[in-house]
Parts: sequence; structure tokens; C-alpha cells
Amino acid sequence: MSAMLLNKEKWPEFIGKLAGKNLWAPQAEGDAMHFAQVKEGETPGLDFGNTRVPPKKFIFPQTETMYRFQLGGTNIEEPVIDDEVVVLGIRPCDARANKIIEKLFKWDVDDPYFLARQEKVTLIGLTCTEPGLNCFCPSVGGGPASTDGLDILITDLGENYYLEALTNKGEKLLGEAGDLMVEDKGDGAKAKEKLVAAAEKKINRTVDTKGIPEGLPGLWEDPLWKRVSASCLGCGTCTYLCPTCHCFDIQDEIEGFDARRCRMWDSCMFEEYTLHTSGHNPRPTRRERTRNRINHKYNYYVDKFDVIACVGCGRCINLCPVNIDIVEILRQVKEAL
Amino acid sequence: MDIEQLRKIASEVVARDDVKCLIGWKKGSYGYRIAPAFVEDTEETADLIFSPLCTANLATYLTLVEKLPVPRGQEPDTRKVALMVKGCDSRAVTQLIVEKGISREDVVVIGCPCPGVVDAKLLAEKYPETEEAAEVKWNGDGFLLIRGGEEIKIARDEVLAEKCRLCRYPNPVISDLMLGEPVKPWDVPEDSGVVEIEEKSIQERWSYWLEEFDKCIRCYSCRNVCPLCYCQDCILDRLNPTWINRAVNFSENTAYNISRAFHLAGRCIECGECERVCPANIPLGKLNRKLAREVREKYGFEPGIDPEGEPFQASYKPDDPEDFIL
Amino acid sequence: MTTTGNPYIPHLATVEETWYETGGERCIKTFKVVFDEEKVREAWSHRPGQCAMIGVLGEGESMISISCSPTEGKFLRFSVMRMGKVTQALHQLEAGDKMMVRGPYGNSFPIEDWQGKQILTIGGGIGQAPLRPIVEFVKANRDKYAGLTMIYGARTSGDLCFKGEFEEMSKSDDLSCHLTIDVEEEEWEHNVGFVPQMLLDLNPSPENTIAITCGPPIMIRFVLENLKKLGFEDEQIYTTLENRMKCGIGKCGRCNAGNMYVCKDGPVFCYAVLKDIPEAFA
Repeated sequence: MSAMLLNKEKWPEFIGKLAGKNLWAPQAEGDAMHFAQVKEGETPGLDFGNTRVPPKKFIFPQTETMYRFQLGGTNIEEPVIDDEVVVLGIRPCDARANKIIEKLFKWDVDDPYFLARQEKVTLIGLTCTEPGLNCFCPSVGGGPASTDGLDILITDLGENYYLEALTNKGEKLLGEAGDLMVEDKGDGAKAKEKLVAAAEKKINRTVDTKGIPEGLPGLWEDPLWKRVSASCLGCGTCTYLCPTCHCFDIQDEIEGFDARRCRMWDSCMFEEYTLHTSGHNPRPTRRERTRNRINHKYNYYVDKFDVIACVGCGRCINLCPVNIDIVEILRQVKEAL
Repeated sequence: MDIEQLRKIASEVVARDDVKCLIGWKKGSYGYRIAPAFVEDTEETADLIFSPLCTANLATYLTLVEKLPVPRGQEPDTRKVALMVKGCDSRAVTQLIVEKGISREDVVVIGCPCPGVVDAKLLAEKYPETEEAAEVKWNGDGFLLIRGGEEIKIARDEVLAEKCRLCRYPNPVISDLMLGEPVKPWDVPEDSGVVEIEEKSIQERWSYWLEEFDKCIRCYSCRNVCPLCYCQDCILDRLNPTWINRAVNFSENTAYNISRAFHLAGRCIECGECERVCPANIPLGKLNRKLAREVREKYGFEPGIDPEGEPFQASYKPDDPEDFIL
Repeated sequence: MTTTGNPYIPHLATVEETWYETGGERCIKTFKVVFDEEKVREAWSHRPGQCAMIGVLGEGESMISISCSPTEGKFLRFSVMRMGKVTQALHQLEAGDKMMVRGPYGNSFPIEDWQGKQILTIGGGIGQAPLRPIVEFVKANRDKYAGLTMIYGARTSGDLCFKGEFEEMSKSDDLSCHLTIDVEEEEWEHNVGFVPQMLLDLNPSPENTIAITCGPPIMIRFVLENLKKLGFEDEQIYTTLENRMKCGIGKCGRCNAGNMYVCKDGPVFCYAVLKDIPEAFA
């Protein structure tokens, strides 16, 4: 796979090469960044922190039509997912999250929607040189330049961008803009290495995950769950903004005679999530729901798929309305072990 | 703010036999974060603080309690909850009493006269947050930020929360105990946010809100944080019939946000929590303040002021205006 | 099983016959259903204990136990209690109407491993639905099993399902059927009392026996307790769980009890496994 250097002056031209594609990149919206489609003539920059909502929508949209039908009819029409998407500027943690949840979507039975979208998406990642306050990716197996799930990784070296193709898809895409770049002779790689080491040093929040997956079952009735969930409002912010949270609901929606069955993000923090029709709820309070959220990420998922379902992006910490802080919860878990 | 007085009052309150716990504020896990504190014994009162960072309206916890069936042979816990409230928060408590969402006897209100809190987002924008927990104090007419041994004086207007700029009730309207002396209310300027909306044409307003509601991810944090959104059976959660589809698109998002706004008309006490917690940055404060203003100007009604008052949406006066009803 | 490659796409089936098992607000209606397409019919195979997602387009789908044994024929049976939006829509269906079915889902009772053993089923209310396939399977393979004892109870006699089938059973030598209701009723000839107590009273021997229970969570809890009192080993006890489900294939998240997805790792669990799952009886 090739590694290239692109002079920043040629950045608009590089974007021009991608212009014919369905290109998405982070754009400012008020004080937050979010992924938006790049319109013709626009040149998105790469100077930003992470987006507020993770870019999981490209493979796992918040609302996905599973199939359409006519009300009263029996004919089912499956949607065709064939839109190629190029996502520019996805952070390594978010790309890694895609690979983590892929394990579930491929577990035993393939999930056709997820896999179709994943096949159609090309992810151009961006090395983190200025990690956020609540980033803790190295603690959970990631890093500022993790390549897992990416097709291309871009590192901002100042004057140049350093571009690494990581998959055939990435190689092909880079090839299309080959004339704008020069091959890296090793200086780029070295410069990147330095930047990554510096970025890692800037990450202050850490979780020592050793012993947590094995230890969580023993803490089932520990008072810590009541403590850490006491202030929980039961909203879905932590889960909706989590790049690895993947739970969904399935609902039928009708408009006139047109109807569809669709799935949409759901949250284990909602009371209705596990509520039986009988009124019985196996997770009756926020204590059980919080315990499930942490256990799912740090115990059940590890058990099933051998990886922690948390990439340390810090979004749930940044945006929890009441400062429920997963790093702090894990610290308390560790303490209770 | 006399922290010793706060801890003394809190200790006395939690020591009472008829009090289950005290809900107040404590330092959060990092930076400018504040976390709600649930204090059950006098020792824990040492964590309590009251500072310009204490934005959260804790009144929401009064109705957020999950009541599990009491095991056979056990008595239900009917002890009171003690709650620390600012002026705006106290209006939520009052409104809950008016609506019979809670009973006056269920709660011990510890009033905290409030000279105005900071907008933590604004503060972080100007004075970046650090991992270490920082402190902010009221300092004469402004604020004092204490961060990593450094003290920074900040002018009030620079970081004051918008809801506080517009606040007409900085002193608790209801309380059993009061922390410190009442503060002098300030001159409230015209609500520029609402004026900005009103100056738009109907078409512009519609496009403005569509664009805003389009961003909604339906996490329901605005609903859950709202002290007055406490229906046991919210229409959003109902499937049979389905009033609002779970699909996230601007039609359903608009239905959700408008339903909530209307449901809060004459009930919203303008604590600004919905806007503070919204991860999509939807200016919900503007929406709710607009409705609050309509109710105030057309009906002369302000919610959450008089615990003996009637709920707005359940009361009628023969001279209620109706000229705007189609 | 899927013919399109998309596991979420249901198959069209026709309701051949329906009847009410019980009455009242939460009445239970049974549907006998046959797939419309022959290749679906032929490809379908289920084992006792498995479930299927059944529903009506425009109303949604629900996970329902398949209440017939594959030995009964090329059809499916579902006994559905009228509870929420989907089950209300299902209850509207009559013979000739269309139903959407996908599945079968979940593991099943390891019924082949139980050959030569005495089978003891302990059911309560609608909980008899997943046990019925065991009863039917054993009936169809009588020579392979030592015998079958069935304990079944409900609140009132009107709440018992599959009533017509019990009379024939009680005539048989190696099949015994014990019915109970919670409160005394006129003309009720069988036992009165709760299921867990009846189990104790009957005092079945744990020797060479497999006990399978399903019913309301509280009943299961006491039945398990009493089975232990009777000397049953954890490995001899099975139950089948239910939780809210949406996808049926281990993706949507909500049905987990601890690290087990009820839709995939269950619904059938041996007590030896289940007792260590903290949420199983929540």
C-alpha cells in the first residue's frame, strides 16, 4: 500500500478529484461539527475536533427503511442500497467503532443493511493531533492514528498532508488523485510518528481496563450502580452519541396507503426498551439500565466478540447533562473489584 | 456564597428523621462540570457546593423517582426530599405543587438566592476546560474563575447564561430554609432571541424551525431534564396509537418538538435546561420563552409563582382573549 | 430460514383455522398457519422450543412461541394473548387471512438427548405454549421416552389453554396430566392450588427425569426452588425465557439477560447455565 505526500496548496484540487463522488465531511453548525454532504465547489478543511454525533449513520442510519409495502397488500419491496459514499475526516475511534459493531452485525446471521452500506462506504480517516479533553482511546485498544476500519488515513504534517492507503478501496481512490501527490520517501512517516507520539502524550484520561470484563459479573449487586446512576435522567444522549451503540427498534410507519417497516436507533437507557407488554420490566430502574450499559460494553461484548465495545471517544462524557462520566464509573468499578 | 452555612443547613436537614435525602450540587468529574449530589448522611454534605456553575435545575428529580412495588411486609418510604433551588428552580417546584405533581409536604426547599449562573459552554469557549475540576465564584459584579491555581476575573456579561440575563426571579419564590440574603433583581432587557424570531416572516420562521428541528436526534434529553415534563405516560412512548413516529425526520421531529412546546405553554418556568442539554444545539429556550411570553402578555399569567394558584391550561376566565384563535 | 437472503423479510402465510383458547380482556387465540409458497413450506423446519416473528404488515411483529411439534404436520400453530398493538392486530385475523411469519428463531429443547428419560413439564397460563410441542413430540415418539408427566395450571379453568387435548392424555398409561387452578370453582374436578405447590404434592422422582418449566416469572422462580427441594440436579432442569424482542437474530440488543441473548442463546436454558445469569429472573 502506498504512502503519499500532498502539499496543502493542492488540497482544493484533491477535493476536486473527489467532487464527482457522494462526499461527506465535517462542517461547522453553531459550536458543533457534524458530517454534511460536500456541495460542488466547497473545500472542507480538516482543522476540527471530533463531530458531536458520530458518523455511524453511514452504515447504521438513525432511521433505516427495511422494506416498503402497501397498506392492505402483501407485496414486500426491499430497498436497494447502492449509493457509494466517501466520508472524509472520520476520526480513528469512529472508524474503529464500525469494525467493532460489524462483529455483531455479522454474528451468525448477516445483517444485510449494515453490510451493504459498509461495502459502499469509503472511509478517509484523520489522525488526531489534538485529542479532546475526554478522549481515552489508548485505554481501550485504539489510538490517535489507529487504522482499523479505515481505507485511507490522512495526517496533517503542517505543510503537507501525509496520506496512507490502507485497503484496495483506499489505494484505488488515492490513485485517482495520484498526479497531485508525491510518494513519501520516509520523512512523512517519521513526522507522523512524532506527531502521534505527541498526541498520545496529550491524552490525560485513562482507564485501566485490566480485570474489568472478568470482574464485572462479581459486582452485580454492588452499591456502586446505585451511586453512579442516581442522577441519570434516563435520556438517550450517551447511547445515541456513542459510536459503538447499535441497538435498534423496529416499527411500522404508515403514510396514506404507503407504508414501511423501518428500524431506528434505540437506547437501553429508555424505560420502554425492555418493557414487556404485560407491564413487567426486567430492568425496572435506571440503576439496572446503567449497569447494563456498562456491562454490555465492558463485559458482554468482550465475552461474545473479544473486544471492548467502547472506543474512548469521550462523547458520552462530553454531553451527559448530569456529568455521568464513564471513566469515573470504570474507576469505581476498578476500585470495587 | 457562605459554604459553611450551606453545609451547616444541609447537615441539619439530612439529620432529620423525616428527610430521606438532600439533592444539591457538587463538583463534577472534570473542568466546569457540576454533578447532582444525593446526600444521605451528614458526612456527605462536605461535597455540597453552590456556585455560578450550578446551572442544573434539580427539581426534575422530584418526579423522576422510580417507584418499585414495595415488597410484602415493608412500608413505603414516605420521607421528604430536601432540594436546593435557585430562583428559577423554585418556580419549577411551585408549578409542580400547583399541578399536584408533588405535595408541598413531600419536599424541604432550601432556597439559594442566585445572582446568575454562567453558561458553561460559553465559559469553555473563552477559557478552555482542563481535566482538573475548576471553580467559579461570584465576585462583586462578575465572576472569578479559579483554575489550576490561577484566578481570572470575568465580567458578568461575558459568560452569564442567557436565561439569567432574562431572569425576573433570582430569589426563590418558595422555600423552607434560605441560604444567605436575597439578591437584588436586575433590569431585564428585551428578549432578543424571541424578538429575532418574531421579526421573521411566517415563512422564514417555518424554515428556521424546520432547519433546527431537522438536527434533532430524538434522544429526549430535553424532555427528561425538564422538571415539568413528567407525564407517567408520555405520548412519545405510546405505540397504540402511535402519535409520533419513532422515525427521525423533520416531520416527526417537528411534531415532537412542537407538541412539547405547546404542552409547556403556561407551565415552562424558563430554567433553560432543555437548551442546555440538547446535544444538537436546538434553541429550545427561544421556543419555550416565546410561548411563555404569549401567555404572560395575553393572559397576565406566569407559572410557578403562586403555590396556591391554578394551572394555566386548566383555568378559564370570562375575559380571556381569544382574538388569535382561528 | 430465508429465501431472499434478508433475514428480516417475512414470508406470507395463510391462516387456516383459528379458535379461542381463553376468553376475557387478555384472551388467547390460536392460529393454525400455512406458508403460501411451497418452497418456503418445504424449507421450513423447526424444533420444539423455537419461536417465530409473526405479524401484520402495517402493525408490526411479535416474537411468539411455536406451539406445535414438527411431528404434527406441515403447518404452524401460534397461541397469542391479546396484549398490545401487534397482538390486537393478530387477533383480528380469521381463517383465510394473511399473516407474515419469519423464523424459526432461537435454540430448542435438546429433546433428542432426552430419549429414554421421563419427561416432566410444568406450565402456567400461556407458558404452556412452548411446552406443548414437547408433549406432542413425546406423544409422537412414545417408544423413545420413558413417559411424560404434565403439570399445568392457570388462574381459573377459563384460563387454561389446549383444554380439549388433555382428556385423551389422561386415558393413556405412560402419559399423565395434572391440572390445577388457583381458586376453587364449581364443577372443577381437578386440583386447586398453585403450580409450585402441586409439584411438591405430586412429588415426582428426579430419577432419570428431565423437568421443563415455563410460565410467569414468579411461578418459574418457585418451581425451580421446589424442583431443587425434590432433589433435581441443575442439569435436569430446563426453562424457556421470554424478553422483549425486535429482530430475533441477535442484533437489536434488548432481549439480553446478562451476556445471553434470549433470541439466539435462548429461549431454552438449562438451569445449570441459567442460575449464573444475574438478570434471568429479573
